[in-house]
Amino acid sequence: MKIENCKLKIVVCWLYPELMSTYGDRGNIICLTKRCQWRGIDVTVQDKLAGADLIFGGGAQDRQQEIVMRDLSGKKDQLQKMFDDGVPGLFVCGAPQLLGRPYLGIFDMETSFPGGPRLIGNLVGEISSHYNLEPRTFVGFENHGGRTYLGPGVKPFARVIKGFGNNGEDGTEGAVYKNCLATYSHGPFLPKNPAVADWLIKTALEVKYRKEVELKPLDDALEHQAHDFIVKKYGH
Amino acid sequence: MIKLLAKLVSFVSKTLGLGAGVTWAGEIALKFDPNILSKLIPTGSRVILIAGTNGKTTTSKMITQILGNAVSNDTGANILNGIVGTLITKPAAKNIVLETDEATLPAVVAQITPDTVVLLNLFRDQLDRYGEVDTIAKKWLSALEKLSCRFVINADDPQLAWLGSKLKKVSFFGLDDKKYFLPKMQHATDSIFCPACGTRLKYAGVYFSHLGQYRCPKCSFKQPKLDLAARDVKSPLPGVYNLYNMLAAAAVTGTNEITAFSPAFGRMEKIGNARLLLSKNPAGFNESLRTVLDAKERGPVLLVLNDRIPDGRDVSWIWDVDFENLTNYRECITCSGDRVYDLALRLKYAGISNMRIVPNLGDAVKNQSWILATYSAMLEVRKILTGKKIN
Repeated sequence: MKIENCKLKIVVCWLYPELMSTYGDRGNIICLTKRCQWRGIDVTVQDKLAGADLIFGGGAQDRQQEIVMRDLSGKKDQLQKMFDDGVPGLFVCGAPQLLGRPYLGIFDMETSFPGGPRLIGNLVGEISSHYNLEPRTFVGFENHGGRTYLGPGVKPFARVIKGFGNNGEDGTEGAVYKNCLATYSHGPFLPKNPAVADWLIKTALEVKYRKEVELKPLDDALEHQAHDFIVKKYGH
Repeated sequence: MIKLLAKLVSFVSKTLGLGAGVTWAGEIALKFDPNILSKLIPTGSRVILIAGTNGKTTTSKMITQILGNAVSNDTGANILNGIVGTLITKPAAKNIVLETDEATLPAVVAQITPDTVVLLNLFRDQLDRYGEVDTIAKKWLSALEKLSCRFVINADDPQLAWLGSKLKKVSFFGLDDKKYFLPKMQHATDSIFCPACGTRLKYAGVYFSHLGQYRCPKCSFKQPKLDLAARDVKSPLPGVYNLYNMLAAAAVTGTNEITAFSPAFGRMEKIGNARLLLSKNPAGFNESLRTVLDAKERGPVLLVLNDRIPDGRDVSWIWDVDFENLTNYRECITCSGDRVYDLALRLKYAGISNMRIVPNLGDAVKNQSWILATYSAMLEVRKILTGKKIN
């Protein structure tokens, strides 16, 4: 028996909303919140990890990132346990650096800073078929100095069609550990990728209620128009 | 010789209608002599540099008008080629008033010795081009601490106040008036952490973005004492940001009032029935929205978003603009520009329903009362409305 959307509750954790909010990151929180509310799902946003059903981490300026790292390394075990329990997460911008080595080391991946040019521009990729999303593509914008190389303990989130992705060499973009996604796309990733937003919401609810959840369909004509525009303009 | 060649290029470029003769001339001159800037300043002239994310053009125009006998890059050509081009193509004058792009300031002061440097504000803007706010502030400090000139600095911006504390001969300006406090903090804030120790600053009130009255609860960092405050000046234009521009101009010139001031390109400029507000980053856009919402005459609003090089290729910043404030705006809101769908999507998630999507700018500009546009979009809008180009 499936639960009606209007009887569901979801708690979203936005990690360090003041420190990790460099460039439109809150677009992801607005997107998750609205897409829940439009379906009658009760949604709360908090900055604590405890009790969260979905975790979001944005991008930080260098100085802010240091403050975040100092605090977050004390929460590493809590974060790892939540990921291992299947709690979904989205980490954008510098997240691949933050979650892997030499920082938190939860994700099996290594980031180096060779000091070459920053990798900047529109980013289009094909999301791993594991997620069975429609459309299969994602669109974003990247701006990073680090180069990340994945180990066998994580899977790439997508394959780069246009842009640089993890390192500009092997065609991988982002990383997935359990239900947690990390991407070099920065800022408002979810609004133009509503299928990813809905996957996060659905997964969060299914892990929480231990039941299959069917999200009410929404009118995503404008979302798809904005998505397709970027794929057509930059995705080849 | 180089100057002559550059002047010729500028003339040909303008005559052929290629526009931007100034930047072309500068580009050519720099090719022949990368250090030409130092040679273009006549002895005895007074150089005033104006830097900051928002307000450079208006402040330069105010200073130019007050001082008279001035040459200025008033077309907004504020990177090295534009500055060199301005000095080559325009007649020499005693006062040289130059608005300087954030990233260009260190290169400019490496070549010329200014009389005064004005620092207006630092907001998040085009991270793909400039890098982070903290990074710019660091680069400014290492370039400016070598100078022995006078500095005019906005004390309401914590990052700049901190920078000013490391410099000598600083005049600080700020509003110091609670009546300009916003009811709550805006989302697009950058420097709300203590520049000295990293603790979150305590604000008694915020004027806009991270500009306000603040102190650090942990270390000794606090707002510096003001040399000039809002009560001391009279701004010729509406808007809190113009009050800041007037304060900066007054601190430089000693003149506290301007009468008969016509706004710079796209800054409350009126063409037909439309008011034009250049809106190119979250702090500026929020202030433009505040101007529209505070205006007595409401009317249809056009928002135009482009993603060309002068606008910044990355449009993520629109999610930091508080478009939610338009939810109760009754008149029609039209979206246009290269990234019209991104903009429309932002408005959809802000809960705005009375919205039209008109990708064709020529159709979109018709019958609007307010036009808020990014840089290249504003150039296009002006061209359509006036039938001519600006260079």
